[in-house]
Amino acid sequence: MRRVLALAWLLLMLAAVLAAPLLTDQDPLQPTAPALAAAGSGHPLGADHLGRDLLSRLLYGGRTSLLMAAIAGAIAVAGGSFLGAWAAVAPRTMDSVLIWAGNVLLSIPGLLLAMLLVASFGTSRWTVILAAGISAIPNTMRVARTLLKQTAQEEYVQAARAIGATRLRIARRHILPNARPRLLVLAITQLAWSFVNTTTLSFLGFAGDPSLPEWGGMLNSGRGYLLEAPQLALLPGLAISFTILALHHLGSTPVHAQKI
Amino acid sequence: MVPIFDRRSSPALIDLIQRLIQSVFTAWAAVSFTFFALRVSAGDPAAVLLSRGLARPEDIAILRAELGFDQPLLHQYLAFLQDLLRGDLGQSLYTRQPVLDIILEQLPHTLTLAALALLFTLLLSAVLGLGSALWKGKPAAALLSSLTGAAIALPVIFVGTLMLWVFRAGTISGFLPQKQWVMQLLLPALVLGFSTSGGIAWILQTGILENMRAPFYLAAKARGVRPGFPLLWHALKPALPPAVSLFALEASFLFTGTVVTETIFARPGLGRLLVQSILEGDFPIAQGLVVLAALVYTFSLAAGDALAYVLDPRLRSDT
Repeated sequence: MRRVLALAWLLLMLAAVLAAPLLTDQDPLQPTAPALAAAGSGHPLGADHLGRDLLSRLLYGGRTSLLMAAIAGAIAVAGGSFLGAWAAVAPRTMDSVLIWAGNVLLSIPGLLLAMLLVASFGTSRWTVILAAGISAIPNTMRVARTLLKQTAQEEYVQAARAIGATRLRIARRHILPNARPRLLVLAITQLAWSFVNTTTLSFLGFAGDPSLPEWGGMLNSGRGYLLEAPQLALLPGLAISFTILALHHLGSTPVHAQKI
Repeated sequence: MVPIFDRRSSPALIDLIQRLIQSVFTAWAAVSFTFFALRVSAGDPAAVLLSRGLARPEDIAILRAELGFDQPLLHQYLAFLQDLLRGDLGQSLYTRQPVLDIILEQLPHTLTLAALALLFTLLLSAVLGLGSALWKGKPAAALLSSLTGAAIALPVIFVGTLMLWVFRAGTISGFLPQKQWVMQLLLPALVLGFSTSGGIAWILQTGILENMRAPFYLAAKARGVRPGFPLLWHALKPALPPAVSLFALEASFLFTGTVVTETIFARPGLGRLLVQSILEGDFPIAQGLVVLAALVYTFSLAAGDALAYVLDPRLRSDT
């Protein structure tokens, strides 16, 4: 039941965000109403502190937020499972080197690693995406390595090894296809964390231009008008939270929160 | 207590000592990574000053010499390590104040917040974790369970903003008293503690429920141990060490949690200092803070390992 609800929310939101031009004809960037205008005709949710339509900013901002999280999650999962697979099939020394390198990176908390990258490349959306993606790689690598190692102990893998299959062939033909369902769970869970991390970094002002709509940034700028127009901060906040909860219900319950 | 070194030292103790030694290396590697990541990619801070119109072109050479940026990279690195060992973290690009002084000035704010947040973490994870096991099958347990899920999943940026809104609206309408310390300390600590307690509560919950199915729990029940807390203790005790390890891990992550909460509640502290220094491009401060966080993180993890060793007799046995 929970999973159905989670899937329903994700699909509904995705549809709304993609159909943004059909649902609203307001420009998300131009002021079209008095500042902090209440909900009314033409502006179903009112306007923000600069008089821009809230609904259209939510819809177009959702596109950006989801895309940023998706790219960051893809970077984390692709990088992590590549390195994890390498560590799982590599000779013992290479495995230990990779693990140690991962531990070193894990000893710099994710947010700090992300902020290091922002400090290096300046504030922009791409920096936020890269920072959230790269800082999650050590963790996805560790998880991927563990589950790939488990798969590597299956009998069919040992059989393949016994008949002299190369490491690359074993990794590609035997381990990866059989670990795919569990890698998918890892990917969904990681997507949830990427969503938390990209919106948090944007919230902190690392995504550059605040006039371009994005849920984390909207939550931050709406924070200044909590009493006059609470919906400015609460609606993007609720959208972020529902999405994360839904992704968690589709993935698996994480033990150690990697949120920042 | 067991003697630290004797001929029968358990493998776990040797393992622990190895891990402590390893954490020194890990800390060194993290510090070096920070140095090179900032220095190589961010380039020359003097150029940043120039581009922001904070320095004249003719001053750049002098500035670079003063900051040591005209030296080869390896030279700079060794000087950085040497300074670090002496406790010198360099000076701010803008104010020229020593970074260590700036950090020490903000440290008490963050320490107070983190200490209170840890207290809340302890309280909340005990309530959420024990309560849902103690009242298993009752509505209260379901409520506590979903609160645990919310604590794990909900982002601090939303929980914090929500609390801020509820409290502001409450004080305006007169339901809640308007107190500076509530807004500046209690709320941020509560938000931080709540979001940190989720994982720990979850570990406690699943551990206790698992132990309740173990034979030793049934034996305790058959012996006539009083139901309620005395009986719960039998299931709780073996579930504690992993929770303690996670507590240490979360405690070391508190610093990054303060970055967000300090921003939401407009509270001074190290987190805000870090965000500001990065947005302003004041690299020495950012570098000093990341180095500090990496050191704290590595060593509190090691402390957590040591504590788990003391708590869990299974780690101390020879088998």
